[in-house]
Amino acid sequence: MQKDALLILLLAGIFVSVGARHSVPGKPKKTSCRSPEKETFTCWWEPGDDGGLPTTYALYYRLEGDDRVYECPDYKTAGENSCFFNKSYTSLWVNYNITVVAKNALGQAVSDPVEVDVVYIVKPNSPENVNVKVMEDDHGPFLRVSWDKPPTADTRSGWITLNYQIRVKLENEKEWEEHEVGLQKTFNVFGLHSGGVYMVQVRCKPDHGFWSEWSSTTYVTVPDYIPRGRSMWIL
Amino acid sequence: CAHGHPGCLVLSLADLFDRVIQHSARMHGLSSDLHAEFEQYFLPSKNHIGRVFPKCHTSTILTPNGKENAQKLAREELTEVILKLLAAWRDPLSQLHQSMSHQQDFNSFSSNKALEMSDMAHQLHKGVEKVAEKMQMLGMISNSLNNLASHEVLLPPSDSGEKSPVSDHELLYCFRRDSNKVQNYLKILKCRIMPEHGC
Repeated sequence: MQKDALLILLLAGIFVSVGARHSVPGKPKKTSCRSPEKETFTCWWEPGDDGGLPTTYALYYRLEGDDRVYECPDYKTAGENSCFFNKSYTSLWVNYNITVVAKNALGQAVSDPVEVDVVYIVKPNSPENVNVKVMEDDHGPFLRVSWDKPPTADTRSGWITLNYQIRVKLENEKEWEEHEVGLQKTFNVFGLHSGGVYMVQVRCKPDHGFWSEWSSTTYVTVPDYIPRGRSMWIL
Repeated sequence: CAHGHPGCLVLSLADLFDRVIQHSARMHGLSSDLHAEFEQYFLPSKNHIGRVFPKCHTSTILTPNGKENAQKLAREELTEVILKLLAAWRDPLSQLHQSMSHQQDFNSFSSNKALEMSDMAHQLHKGVEKVAEKMQMLGMISNSLNNLASHEVLLPPSDSGEKSPVSDHELLYCFRRDSNKVQNYLKILKCRIMPEHGC
């Protein structure tokens, strides 16, 4: 008797494990959207468990005040598990209600919906061409840092206004020194260590959005110099 | 202050623009803060599923929904849109302040913000009218603007009886959006008229 029970248990175990291999897909997770320039935007999601079967994903959205449901206009441009809304599909000051549906042969799962108004999801790309020059005046050397705005952001038309921040540190130090720049695209850094290797990064933020990532690091070496105050002593 | 009066500084158009733009940015900032406070206070659960978005009383004002559409509008039309939006908020904002100051469970700090916002909208409307007059004087826009002072005033549908926190919330939601529009349109207008000034 005990032997039979064991066999049944064993068979049941095999059956369950086979059954578990295929299932309805899990809910797609962490849908998030971002606009780099207030003119287009992209939403991304993380696929859930695929239930061991080929699974497809589709993004659907509804616009505030409109009952119709639309499907994502472009799954390709922004890569895997994403949907890109180009200029003609991007409206401001209107809420998009977005859901992602995962589907396989056994069924489907719908993500939690996300509400976005493109105005409030602007995170620009990083500033580019960060250029650092070592200059000198009566007080010694200083760094003149200049950069370009992220190319896609149309600041000339007034559509987006970018504020900048810069951070600087000696290569072997831990803490960055941050400076608020404002709207300009150039900034001078004073109080340098003679012979130090400095790392410089810049980032930007629109008035009602998020900071960009920091730009890639620009390195600069400050030449050895003799502070004027001390030159008297040496003489 | 009269023209030519000694000590009376006549502001340039660029200065006027910068002032109204700064003002509109502050106003929008205030409305965002207040809206966030309100959501925290009255809608503590982050679960907004199935939430119905209010139809704003200003939704009958046709407003451009992106950069290209804003640029397509004539300068006069864009100016008019801004003025219409601001005019439509004059009364609802003072109502909002009154309603918030009567709400015992909402702190006076927030109700002061509502008052400040209402004053700011009023001042901004006057400021943009000044900008429009100056632009007309300088021949930068035609004089065909519909009589600036006499915009028909839009009002939100007044529900009978006491105002509920929900309708205050709706007003805040709508004003946050409209004040952001105003700020964006002002910037676009400025950069079209004087592209050399910090654009």
